[in-house]
Amino acid sequence: MTAVAAFAAWLGAAIIVLADGRRGLAAGIGLIAVGFTAIAWSDGVWVGGACLLVGGVVAVIALLRTGPQDWGLMPAGSTPRLILAVAGGILSLWVAASVTTGPGASLRFACLAVLGLMAGRLLQSKAAVPALAGAAGLAIALAGASELGPNDPGFAPYLIAALITAGALLLPAARSHGA
Amino acid sequence: MPAIAIIAPVAIPLATAGSVAICGVAGWKIDRIVLAVGTWLAIVALIALWAPVRSTQDLGLGQLGFGTPSELRLDAVGFTFGLLVLVPAAILLTLQPRPWQEGTVAALGVAAAVLAVESGGVILTAVAGGAAATLAIVQLDVEDPRASRPPWGVLLAAWLALSWVGAILQVRSGTAGYSAVPVSALTVPVFALLAATALIASGLYPWRGWPSQLWGRPALRSAGMAVATLYPLGFYLLVRAYEIGDGRYPQFWLQVVLAGIGVLVAFGAAARAQGASTRRAYLGEVIPGLGGFALIGISVGTPLGLVAGIATLAVAATLAACLPLLPDRGGPTSLVVIAAAAGLPPGLAFGVRVLGLEATFEAGTPMGLIGIAAAATWILSIIAAARAAGLPAGRGHPASETEPRVSMGLALAIVVAGPALGLVLAVLATPAQALVMPSPAGVNLGGLTAVATVSTVLPAVALFTPVLLLAVLAYYYAGPMTVRAQDRAAFVVLPGTDRFARLREALRSATVPAQYRSLVDLRALEAAATGGGPLLWLAALVALAFAVTR
Amino acid sequence: MEPELAIALPAVGAVLTAILHPRPRAALLAGALLGAGGIAAVLLAAPGLASDLLGVSLSVSAMSRTLLLAAAASLALIVAFPPPRADRAMLLAWGLAGIAGMAAIAAAPSLDLVILLTLVIALLHAALGGQRPLAARLRAPALAVALLGAGLVFARFDGSTILARFAAIGLVAGLAAALGTLPYIHEFDPDELTATSPIAWIAFLGPILALAVITRARELIPAAGAIFAAMLIGLGLLNVLWGGLASWLTDKGMSAWHYSFMADWGLVLCAFGILVADGQAAAVLLLFGIVLSRLPLYLWSRQSLRERIQTDRPVNLLAAAMLAGAAPFAGFAARLFLLRGATQLYWPLALVIGVGLLLWLPPSLRLGRSLGTPRGRLALGVAIALSLSVAVGLYPQPLLSLAGL
Repeated sequence: MTAVAAFAAWLGAAIIVLADGRRGLAAGIGLIAVGFTAIAWSDGVWVGGACLLVGGVVAVIALLRTGPQDWGLMPAGSTPRLILAVAGGILSLWVAASVTTGPGASLRFACLAVLGLMAGRLLQSKAAVPALAGAAGLAIALAGASELGPNDPGFAPYLIAALITAGALLLPAARSHGA
Repeated sequence: MPAIAIIAPVAIPLATAGSVAICGVAGWKIDRIVLAVGTWLAIVALIALWAPVRSTQDLGLGQLGFGTPSELRLDAVGFTFGLLVLVPAAILLTLQPRPWQEGTVAALGVAAAVLAVESGGVILTAVAGGAAATLAIVQLDVEDPRASRPPWGVLLAAWLALSWVGAILQVRSGTAGYSAVPVSALTVPVFALLAATALIASGLYPWRGWPSQLWGRPALRSAGMAVATLYPLGFYLLVRAYEIGDGRYPQFWLQVVLAGIGVLVAFGAAARAQGASTRRAYLGEVIPGLGGFALIGISVGTPLGLVAGIATLAVAATLAACLPLLPDRGGPTSLVVIAAAAGLPPGLAFGVRVLGLEATFEAGTPMGLIGIAAAATWILSIIAAARAAGLPAGRGHPASETEPRVSMGLALAIVVAGPALGLVLAVLATPAQALVMPSPAGVNLGGLTAVATVSTVLPAVALFTPVLLLAVLAYYYAGPMTVRAQDRAAFVVLPGTDRFARLREALRSATVPAQYRSLVDLRALEAAATGGGPLLWLAALVALAFAVTR
Repeated sequence: MEPELAIALPAVGAVLTAILHPRPRAALLAGALLGAGGIAAVLLAAPGLASDLLGVSLSVSAMSRTLLLAAAASLALIVAFPPPRADRAMLLAWGLAGIAGMAAIAAAPSLDLVILLTLVIALLHAALGGQRPLAARLRAPALAVALLGAGLVFARFDGSTILARFAAIGLVAGLAAALGTLPYIHEFDPDELTATSPIAWIAFLGPILALAVITRARELIPAAGAIFAAMLIGLGLLNVLWGGLASWLTDKGMSAWHYSFMADWGLVLCAFGILVADGQAAAVLLLFGIVLSRLPLYLWSRQSLRERIQTDRPVNLLAAAMLAGAAPFAGFAARLFLLRGATQLYWPLALVIGVGLLLWLPPSLRLGRSLGTPRGRLALGVAIALSLSVAVGLYPQPLLSLAGL
């Protein structure tokens, strides 16, 4: 179950990397949020998971309500992005499953994959909305990563991450005409 | 007197600076009076603190935050060097009119210099000395930003280096207090750093350094103050090094090297002096020349050498006050000043040089060889002085800055003080020497009328007084002196000096050859580094990972 | 309750000041009062004592408290003696928002929250607007967050010891990216407002963020502590060299200031990497200098830089001396501590740092001259900045005691 959720998170990150359109970005954010929510709930972090889900939903709605509604998946010249998405996923899987030990490999994979891919997206993005979507994905991944620590992080990381996720896509800059 | 009073020689110039600033801002034209009163009061306070007690007094300042408790200390060395700073500063601040802004900075510089010599440890000396250097530079730039000034970066580096010396001493021995540092902490590298600081702080170079260059400025208000406050500080460090080292430097060869540098400094000054084209240019080499001799004396490592060195600094300090007040024109004033500076008998400059040379000969080889070189240098400097008497005056600095009578008086004081050599040593030099370099048992440097060396006794009063009387009679009966100023060729042209000058010029004007300039295109480099390029960032990350995982 | 108030009051003050912007006096009064309240809360907050009012354990360390106070003093100085033609109300609003963010970072109980709060600040800062596109403004800070997050994640993994090293890499690189030092220099537009430019990161938000990351990183990766410190020193020396040379040789005046901040941060990183008390003391003094000396002088110089005015008055030289770290200013005391700490650690490092310090003077002279001739209130502001630096330079103990050193 958590493996599927982690895969969904990676897929969402990959879509954000590959998509320039709002629908694509919304799908990506949605998958990331769902993936991390599922992982959180499977660990018994109900409130935190709910926060992430709410944040994700708000972000998706914000993306779908304004601006041109296109997917923009794999535009011309996106081969490097595809390589990034795939290679990032493979590398994260290898680190999570092989280099590191202990339970929670799914969470480790999801965190590494999303962090890495969102960093890549932010580096190559020139438009505002994909950059903001990348930031939102970062926030969700960071909230999930808080569970990796030895101590109970409480609800605060999830709440802040949810606020970032929702707030980023509600910023005025996110309502631009272009993606 | 309560211990807090020790702070008076520092606090009074500080308060003077504040008062001058207030007067200036308020438009009251009494800042010169305030400066005069303040600096002379500081001298009175210093003497009043020292004279009744004549032993070390401490004032703990507590934890200032520099690691170990800081303290002020008034001992013989602090007293001597305090006077060396304050007296010329007081004379100049009293007699030379200056804008209130310059006066404020000057008074602050005096306070910083006095704090540097009254500090109980290396760290506080470094802070205060650095502050004095900064303020001197500011003062020089306020007066004339286009005229030459000491290289600020070099001075800053020197005082930073001294702070590193203090840090090393604290790390090695837990303290940087002059009287508390164990001898073993002053290793050769640490001493070398301290000596380098001293040489740079006082501009003791064989080539033309800032103590010479400053005298070429159009106005000499700030130049005089800079020399008065900064020049003694390097020597102060070398004297204190004896205290840290329990009367000696870590290795004898260090003393030889320093004395050798002293000869080179003095020789360089003499060489430039004998080739000077104006009297002003000659006078610009007087203090560096004396500094070279002072360095020789201090470096010899014997009590006699040390007192000779300190006494030489007293002469230099007097001239630091005398030279800025001397007008750039011919006449008896400039002749007397030249005679006093050159070290003609029976002047004090003559007496201290004799003692310094005697000290080198008594110290044995190789110091003796250095003494011979110093003697030859002295001869050259006398030739330079004789030549300078007939040189044109120079560009001339504003007459309002000059006081020919006071200048003449100070020069005459140097000449007349020759017979009082024993007194000068007893008051200024011997107590300082006794503090940092205890004399061997049974060795006595004499009294007020004579100076005792290892091999002989110099009866200063008995020997110099008749010479002084003769000189007075000769001056009286010679009548008015008219010297026709004219350009004169250098007495000797040193081989290789033009080659050195050409080399320096070539280095200064060196540029990257045109065909290689594209390799060092700084604009392109800047654009690449600041372009926010993802590739550069990723490459940096990979490089970090590679470096760390090796 | 003090940590909560330290965050809430400046935040509310920022919002209120922005809302009342059409009425400048009311805006300034509201902002000043609420900001003062927040700073009072910072002062009253006992270092290390946690407050659990919001269900999150918040506490402010002594060093963080000191830096917050320094930042507040800097803001007060800048608002009280504003640069020519500056909008004081907006300066205060942005400043208070920055202080609220800094207080939140300082009080955050874990590195996770610090990183998330940094992302919040990055988004809000990018949204402020400016000539650069939002993606460009967000790029470096968001990369910083990603790198810090990756470092944090690696630190929590079990497995090979190399993971701790990767964690150290992530944290150091992330910190450099957040600050905008080499090699992660933020794009800099000289005409951009300071509040929306990278200067806000490197000079205002950076100190608290660096402190939060470094203190927590040391607890997180004790096995890679030496590597972490070595990387800080390595990056620090690189920035000293780059910052000094670039500040001296660049054609652009504003960029010279930008690089000078990097040079100062180079020293700070070296100081943090020197794991003895003297290193930490040097870091505190250097950060004080960045926030309370260099930043106000930069703001006051911008007008003269635009008009290409260079003056050589006493105040310019004193400013140059302060920027160069000459005695008796605070920078000299910081350098003394740095050299002593480096000597304790490894004396050749002190020699290298000492040589690097020589690069400070030529650019400082240039920067000092670019201040122009401050008149009236601005001259008073410069005098206050100089006096504070002298006071700390001659007597650093109170500041160090406040920082718990």
